[in-house]
Amino acid sequence: MNMDELERAIFALPLEEPPEGLRASILLATAYHRPAPAFSFAELAVLGALGAVALWLVVLLVLGGGALFVHTLATIGSVLSRAFSNNAFVAWLAAGGATAFWLTLFTGSQPLLSPSHRSERSAGR
Amino acid sequence: MRPEPPDGDLVALTLRGHSEAFATLVERYDRAVYHLAYRTLHDVEEARDVTQEAFFKAFRSLRTFKAGAKFSTWIFAITYHACCDRLSRRKHYSGDELPERADAGPGPEQRVIALDEASRLRAAIDALPEKYRTVVTLFHLQGKQYEEIATVLGLPMGTVKTHLFRAKEQLRRLLSGMEVTE
Repeated sequence: MNMDELERAIFALPLEEPPEGLRASILLATAYHRPAPAFSFAELAVLGALGAVALWLVVLLVLGGGALFVHTLATIGSVLSRAFSNNAFVAWLAAGGATAFWLTLFTGSQPLLSPSHRSERSAGR
Repeated sequence: MRPEPPDGDLVALTLRGHSEAFATLVERYDRAVYHLAYRTLHDVEEARDVTQEAFFKAFRSLRTFKAGAKFSTWIFAITYHACCDRLSRRKHYSGDELPERADAGPGPEQRVIALDEASRLRAAIDALPEKYRTVVTLFHLQGKQYEEIATVLGLPMGTVKTHLFRAKEQLRRLLSGMEVTE
């Protein structure tokens, strides 16, 4: 076998067959990778609710000329002050808080998923 | 029929946010990249991991790709470096963990005998020292583009030509059933 024949034989060698699914996994990690949305459905729901309350307050201000808004705030304030001036209410609130704290000592806290965790989770999907 | 877009255009498109263009680059080179990884590492799982790793690195650092350079050379260089990392790790661990084999089995020359021509050539390439084997694999993938091969390996072009010449000499001898002397 001379050099030319050897070179031709080398170029004629077929390439190795990649394992099944390799291309798909590369594409999913690169070209077709979609980052996880910035907010989850629950977070969007909470933000939506807060937005609705804010809108409601704006509507109250516009329609009631401020008096209705002040009246509403005063009502909420008086309900809260009456609740907190009640010793039984404060005692039950303290008991609930203490129980919750005591339970976290055994179970540990469950932090919300960070965005990086979320994107890992969606990449694995 | 529309002509295939050149690699440089696909890189530019990807950088402009059309990440689907990168898919064409993956389709164009995944087999060659896997081939290089497999021929260097001789392990399906490691070659698979290196191929994924190479494309992932390329995708993430596409901004560092120099305009006018060849994408194939760039991705082969990333792959080759990933393979070198794995080989050096393998050498590091093999000294401690792998026991010495009592029976080394047939030598590379013996394995070359009694195989069909393509398999014989492949076995002969496998029997080459690592530095020659890689040069031959890149020669197979890139043709006579010695400058590109030199860029991938980070070697002077003269060294690449010398390695390739010696590799071919050894291959001829191996395929003729003659004894190889380094």
